[in-house]
Amino acid sequence: MRLAFILGEIGSGLRRNLSMVVSVILVTFISLTFVGAAGMLQLQINQMKGYWYDKVQVAVFLCVETSTAASCASGPVTDEQRSAIEATLETPAVAQYVASYHFESQTDALEHFREQFANSPIVDSVTADQLPESFRVSLVDPQKYEVINEIFSSLPGVEVVVDQREILERVFSVMNIASLVAVGIAAVMIVCAILLIATTIRLSAFSRRRETGIMRLVGASKAVIQLPFILEGVIAAVIGAVLASLVLWAVARFFIGGWLAQQYPDTAFISDGSVLLIAPGLLLLGALLAGISSLLTLRRYLKV
Amino acid sequence: MIRFDNVTKVYDQNSRPALDSVSVEIDRGDFAFLVGSSGSGKSTFIRLVLKEDRATRGAVYVAGQNVANIPSWRVPKLRRGIGVVFQDFRLLPNKTVASNVAFAMQVIGKSRAVIRETVPEVLKTVGLEGKDHRMPHELSGGEQQRVAIARAIVNKPGILLADEPTGNLDPTTSMGIMNVLDRINQNGTTVVMATHDNVIVNHMRRRVIELQDGRMVRDEAHGIYVGSQEGQPSTEAKESAL
Ligand SMILES: Nc1ncnc2c1ncn2[C@@H]1O[C@H](COP(=O)(O)OP(=O)(O)OP(=O)(O)O)[C@@H](O)[C@H]1O
Ligand SMILES: [Mg+2]
Repeated sequence: MRLAFILGEIGSGLRRNLSMVVSVILVTFISLTFVGAAGMLQLQINQMKGYWYDKVQVAVFLCVETSTAASCASGPVTDEQRSAIEATLETPAVAQYVASYHFESQTDALEHFREQFANSPIVDSVTADQLPESFRVSLVDPQKYEVINEIFSSLPGVEVVVDQREILERVFSVMNIASLVAVGIAAVMIVCAILLIATTIRLSAFSRRRETGIMRLVGASKAVIQLPFILEGVIAAVIGAVLASLVLWAVARFFIGGWLAQQYPDTAFISDGSVLLIAPGLLLLGALLAGISSLLTLRRYLKV
Repeated sequence: MIRFDNVTKVYDQNSRPALDSVSVEIDRGDFAFLVGSSGSGKSTFIRLVLKEDRATRGAVYVAGQNVANIPSWRVPKLRRGIGVVFQDFRLLPNKTVASNVAFAMQVIGKSRAVIRETVPEVLKTVGLEGKDHRMPHELSGGEQQRVAIARAIVNKPGILLADEPTGNLDPTTSMGIMNVLDRINQNGTTVVMATHDNVIVNHMRRRVIELQDGRMVRDEAHGIYVGSQEGQPSTEAKESAL
């Protein structure tokens, strides 16, 4: 009976304040979408780290005809230089850091290049002798890149030593900044959401002050008086959270899964299932936002 | 049933107390008028019984319990034992007569079956049989006040507080309301009624507690409304109308 009564009160409250309720739904929807987007970016970063960190290598590029670096002033790498470099890799001082290495010839390099830029017209204008040979070195501890760099960049015939991890780190830091921006926007929007929910509930309490006054007088408990207002806010916020989850899912499915993954087939992207990780958090956050802001409001405007 | 023990209520430090050292006891089953000019503290008295406000000094006992010691989560229980009626009826305009009365039962969790059974009974007690589906705006003032009384007593409180229940009604209608309150009192409910209406007080010959500037100046078992102050403007009109 009491439950049916409370549900009825909630229904009439939602109908009476429809425009405010819609704005609460929209504001929580947008703010939680940003929160969720930040979460998905973080998941994507972790995904890529896990995928790439095993694969990244230190590349020791050797001089070619067209090299402009000072260390290549004496022309392309000679066979002796190449053997000397390989021998250095085998010395115990270096070998302790190296998990494995292999040599990538100019033909291999061209093949990889063609794979990577399959859709680009640039492929046809590049020939094998323009691409440098390289030793691809996997480190036991990727942090020890500096040691390798120091030893090899001064060897004759080496053009440059590149840590692929550093390139990735740069990508990750861009993604981190993007997720921080999303969190920042989300924070502002959440403040809006809290204020709007508080205002909505205050209005709702005001428009029903007659009812609540009578309820107080006939001895209705605090829960019966306040619950309809609190649940009103919570329901609106949860609807906003559901919308946000749906949008994130659509983005994961159709944009990331359907488009990005096609464009970059050798990058690991998060799947739409990862939204399942984020959605419960968003629902909880939405409900908490509404619950807390309505509790604070009602304490002032609906005394028992 | 209600006991005031040296109760003082100060709303505002800079003005005189709204109630000043009032000691009075109203027994179970009593019918008491609370009279006095405007601002003498009648409504304050009622608010203190309901624990809508705290006494500044002294103690208010309701059903033997010092209301100051009732924790806030138990206040609803206190109020379930007290019915209240006001001058302005305070009905819900979008609910029918029966729904207005049922509302008081719904919000304290009474079952649908009990509500269906009790509401018509109570409407009969206040003389509103057959009007249960009217809306408040389709009723006269007197009938609206009867609905308010029905709502106040539907949960069978031991005490009924009425703050100028006839303030908006003409003398004949007021008498009808008094008959209802009298009947409720005869069923064992303690009734306390704050009023300006000397005709009613003189007619009923019940206990009269008079307040003046917050002090209790008279407590008479079968009193009349002594004109200790100038009569209200409406007094003569009411008397001639009767
Ligand atoms: N909430 C309040 N804050 C400050 N002062 C108040 C408050 N309520 C009442 N008072 C003051 O307390 C005094 C008594 O008021 P009260 O309402 O009890 O009088 P009353 O006898 O009911 O008057 P009336 O017959 O006009 O209804 C008045 O002087 C009034 O100004
Ligand atoms: Mg008053």
